[in-house]
Amino acid sequence: MANLKSSLNLRDKGAEYWERSPKWRRVALAIFFIAICYALPFLNNPLVNTPGSDFQSVLFYPVGMYVLMAIGLNIVVGKSGLLDLGYVAFFAIGAYTMAILGTKTSLNFWEILPIGVGLAMLSGVLLGTPTLRLRGDYLAIVTLGFGEIVRIFAVNTDAIGGSRGIAGIPTPPDVFNAKFTILDPKPYYWMLLTFTLLIIWMVRRMAARRPGRAWDAIRQDDDVAQLMGINTRKYKVWAFVLGAAVAGVGGVVYASQILSIVPDQFNLNISILILACVVFGGIGNVWGVILGAVLLAFTPERIRFLSQPRILVFGIALVVMMNLRPDGILPKKKREHFDPDWHTVEESGEGEIK
Amino acid sequence: MSENVLELKNITMKFGGVTALNEVNLVVKKGEILALIGPNGAGKTTVFNVITGVYKPTSGDVVFQGESIVGKKRFKITKLGIARTFQNIRLFGESSALENVVTGADVHSKTGVVGSIFGTPRSRREEKANLERALELLDFMGIKKRAGQLGKNLPYGDQRRLEIARALATNPKLLLLDEPAAGFNPAEKVALAETIKKIRDAGYTVLLIEHDMSLIMGVSDRVAVLDFGTKIADGSTTEVQNDPRVIEAYLGAPADAS
Repeated sequence: MANLKSSLNLRDKGAEYWERSPKWRRVALAIFFIAICYALPFLNNPLVNTPGSDFQSVLFYPVGMYVLMAIGLNIVVGKSGLLDLGYVAFFAIGAYTMAILGTKTSLNFWEILPIGVGLAMLSGVLLGTPTLRLRGDYLAIVTLGFGEIVRIFAVNTDAIGGSRGIAGIPTPPDVFNAKFTILDPKPYYWMLLTFTLLIIWMVRRMAARRPGRAWDAIRQDDDVAQLMGINTRKYKVWAFVLGAAVAGVGGVVYASQILSIVPDQFNLNISILILACVVFGGIGNVWGVILGAVLLAFTPERIRFLSQPRILVFGIALVVMMNLRPDGILPKKKREHFDPDWHTVEESGEGEIK
Repeated sequence: MSENVLELKNITMKFGGVTALNEVNLVVKKGEILALIGPNGAGKTTVFNVITGVYKPTSGDVVFQGESIVGKKRFKITKLGIARTFQNIRLFGESSALENVVTGADVHSKTGVVGSIFGTPRSRREEKANLERALELLDFMGIKKRAGQLGKNLPYGDQRRLEIARALATNPKLLLLDEPAAGFNPAEKVALAETIKKIRDAGYTVLLIEHDMSLIMGVSDRVAVLDFGTKIADGSTTEVQNDPRVIEAYLGAPADAS
């Protein structure tokens, strides 16, 4: 029985295949999958297209955007175990930075992007420094409050459009032949995909090195982590700031695509849905989180033809899935190595010494 | 540098109305194995918690290598050179044995989050050095073959050994072992005693809490005895063994004395 079960465990099989593969095969596989991702907008398959909405737009928002944000939130919730229910606030700060600077100054998208990310990170520090003393449920409540404060602040501040929001946000300038226009979501999708790949690469490097181990330790036992010499405050704030940076990227890109934003787009639902992507896919495992985000973003669009009952169907599907796989679709479960000469800290290849 | 690695000066620790430690003075000398013994509830683990910064003493001072460490943050105390194990094993169960030890070895690394993202030469060098050090320590503790297994899945004895390896990885000047032999059979205790001596001979100073008298008499250079939060004896093993107050604390007062 145990044998049957392990032979059915595709996740472990996949990881083992990857570990056994020589470098050229890993590179080839990675290039192959990345190429597929870039080619997705040209896919026109009746199984995956989205009746009722434009498939290429769906790829950008919600699918691509949810994947990006879920990867960011996974640093906070999955790696370091800090429950953040106000993640949308950082997304909003990125989007508002793009909207305000884009409409009121002559800065273009590429100049605003670092400013938006910087402001999101700064707000991560400001929120994180005082609140990360709290643990578990208490932290969740404070972050929930922060998410709402940012939205309500935007609603009540006329200088940034109040509840009407900001319209006429400029699109990014052309890059090579890719023209960023409201009519064509493809360049936006490719840009988002590029950022996402870059962030995955960064997150994996961190996860395999000292910060990853520190977050693992903090998540498992905060007190012991401190006694093992880890500055837990510092690493928690870092997790918050990095999560905020990723959401900030998402916010800037999002605002530049949809051209007008209103505060109510940045409501609690987004925070909860992104958290659901992380939990549904498998907390802590970046591939699981990506899969979870794709499914959770795509499914409601795929079944849009059901109109009203679609959210009900979606909800039932969620409940059934979580019962079948309570740890998520691809859970983070470290595989054990019984080889006495095993030397790797993480399977990403970054930690190997022999 | 002073001869005394650690000095507790008149440490009193009160929890509400309960006095867990009362005016305790204790000196740990460089390169020795000092055993801290006493009946259950005597305050031994409280001493460890005061030293490592988990508790701030109600009064008194903790001097480590000539510097007061009262009120310092826990991770800073570890960085200064005090590492410990736990009475009830507290490993990072979801991490591999090797990662547990590397986490300890990370203490003295300079690379932060940004350096790790960009894989600076220093980050690569430190990663490699910490990994090698961790493997050495696993080998030293005799559990190298467990490197790839999760902390929680290790056999009980290996979990205790892994805790010692993780504490040693922080390269401590003073190693605090809280009942490292709890649950060990006699043969394992003998092996552990050898390991503790090897640790001392490698240049570490050890403060040991233990109940098993044969182990203590076998390894310690000196013994301090706590009873109800007060230090009642301190000296060589033979001195302590013949101290009437120690005998009383452990066996009770003779019937005619009351």
